[in-house]
Amino acid sequence: MADDAEAQEKKRVSIGSELIIPVAALAFTVYYFYTIWDAPWTAQVAAFIVGSVLILLVVLILIKSFRQLSRGDGEINFDNLIEPRSYIPKRLTLLGLTIAYIFVVPWMGFTITTFLFLSLAMLVLSDFTKKRLILSLSATLSLGGYLLFIVAFKTRFPAGPFENLMNGLF
Amino acid sequence: MEYDLTFFTEMLGRTLALWWVLIPSIFLGLIVGAIPGFSAANTIIILLPLTLALEPEIGLTFMVGLYASSRMGAGIPAILVNIPGTAGAAATPLDGYPMTKQGRGQQALSMSFVASIAGGLFTTIIALITLPWLSQVAFYLHSVEMIVIMFFGISLIATIAARDTLKGLIAGFFGLMIGFIGTDVVYETPRGTFGFLELYDKVPLIPALVGLFAISEAFAVIEKQSIVTERGKAAMQEPGWAQTFEGVRIAVSKWWHIIWNSLIGLVIGVVPGAGAAIASFVAYQQSKTYSKTPELYGTGHVEGLIAPESANNGVTSGTLVPLLVIGIPGGATAAIMLVVLQFHGVTVGPDLFITSPELAFGPFTAMAVTYALMILTVLPLARYMSHITVVSTVYMAPIIISFTLVGSFVPRAYLFDMNLALVFGVIGYVARKTGYHVAAILIGVILGPLMETFFLRAMKMSQGDIMVLFSSSIGNTLWVFLVISLALPYVMNLRGGKREKAAAHDPYG
Repeated sequence: MADDAEAQEKKRVSIGSELIIPVAALAFTVYYFYTIWDAPWTAQVAAFIVGSVLILLVVLILIKSFRQLSRGDGEINFDNLIEPRSYIPKRLTLLGLTIAYIFVVPWMGFTITTFLFLSLAMLVLSDFTKKRLILSLSATLSLGGYLLFIVAFKTRFPAGPFENLMNGLF
Repeated sequence: MEYDLTFFTEMLGRTLALWWVLIPSIFLGLIVGAIPGFSAANTIIILLPLTLALEPEIGLTFMVGLYASSRMGAGIPAILVNIPGTAGAAATPLDGYPMTKQGRGQQALSMSFVASIAGGLFTTIIALITLPWLSQVAFYLHSVEMIVIMFFGISLIATIAARDTLKGLIAGFFGLMIGFIGTDVVYETPRGTFGFLELYDKVPLIPALVGLFAISEAFAVIEKQSIVTERGKAAMQEPGWAQTFEGVRIAVSKWWHIIWNSLIGLVIGVVPGAGAAIASFVAYQQSKTYSKTPELYGTGHVEGLIAPESANNGVTSGTLVPLLVIGIPGGATAAIMLVVLQFHGVTVGPDLFITSPELAFGPFTAMAVTYALMILTVLPLARYMSHITVVSTVYMAPIIISFTLVGSFVPRAYLFDMNLALVFGVIGYVARKTGYHVAAILIGVILGPLMETFFLRAMKMSQGDIMVLFSSSIGNTLWVFLVISLALPYVMNLRGGKREKAAAHDPYG
């Protein structure tokens, strides 16, 4: 009996998280319509047709969700988005490091920033074990990336002190 | 000039003599195809000083080799880490990645290689034979037909990629709206740009691809120790070539599937702008529709992997047809080839087949030889490549994030594109966790600008009459197919449900 109740509990749909994409789509469509309201018809026609279909689809999923709620098949929470909860700190740290990477790479360049990002992210994800392996792996990968992408492929990766120094030397 | 067996044998001999150009181009193509952000088109642009300096025939052979192998390379990360190297491989992970998770990565890679090589080789030969007729396909597909094909593409992805069709359609139409971001083509009115100048020229595809597939995947995989399941790891412990040979055997046994799907790719590839992304999803959907085991699709089904891989390689030869016959490139790489040919003073079009037949037929023989050489050079790599999947996610996730983020910066050199990739990463993560397939959003982003262009063209020709969308017989036939493809899953479910009910009530059942 208790197992059945537990299974029923597990089967419930997390309505809150399932509606994030439709609500975002709806909000974006409304914003898009706002930006083209006074525009010439050439700028409006395709978006009005596709946007109207999208709004209709969002209304359909809202009705479906409402029916799930009223039948007791769903509940308003964000569980399937954040679970497993034990990984929340690691996930948020990785997100923070990724944002930092984007902001630092224009100043520090590809090689140094990649080395720092890889080392820190791997250390956090491994609970600060295997430090020597992680540091040497990060150094190898960032230097390998520099040689492959910047030296061999002449790719326009962000340049910083290391890349400038190498440019001056060779 | 007569195009007989002697002529084609001579052409084949000339191309085989250029093996020293083709082998490096194959390996380079595999690498750039496998890295999101490094398409064959980008690499050919980077290497323009080299290709322009070479004889036109050698330069063209190099570009064709790189193009064909990059198409196959894009499937490698799609199968192993759920990150397609290019949008053309977006349907590959649907069944390729589940196979990897089951520890069948080596088998999946060899199947994909066989499907790509056989599909590419077969369609190249067919393209060579049917060149004059194939070039006519583009003339029958006008704006109206293209719009229906695009709606068809979105609905196909909605029904195949997402378990819930409604969610799939929302993802696809949301993608289309994102694809409409930018200035309109006539009056340059900025639309949905949030005030960012970097979005005036549409949403760039590479940051969208990187974010939706790579960044979101990296955040999702950290919840596990490894991509491969425990059972899968045990399966991968068996050393040797057995899995490679097994993959080859299975793929060869599906020879009819490869032929049929690569032909779909060839025909779609001939249509300028249609491309590998549409072809691979169309192939996947029709493969599922006519399969005896459609319920297995999405769980690591062989046919679900073979269909998109043979189709997207069929596109490769298809895109060259309009370029050489009517002078209209079928895709970005074909457009760059056109630039190189024009630099050398070569005018493409029907006259090319009379004035320089070696240049007109050369790309096709080069492609055929490339695919043949790949059997020897690429197939053995499957055994070693598959071991990347047992690398712990502790190392894998940060590597994916850093290298793909910088990859999103490469095409336009805007730092803004890295931020954009992160935004798409967040959208992709939410979509993955809540059952909205990221492939549907991506295909919407790809098709949005194209659809708008065709829409405007159709509306201008009809002087604003929306009924133009139902004015062509080919278009109307496609509309009917579209409605059937959307209704069919519901009808099948309904019939299945009735049968189950009947079986439950059958006292002798």
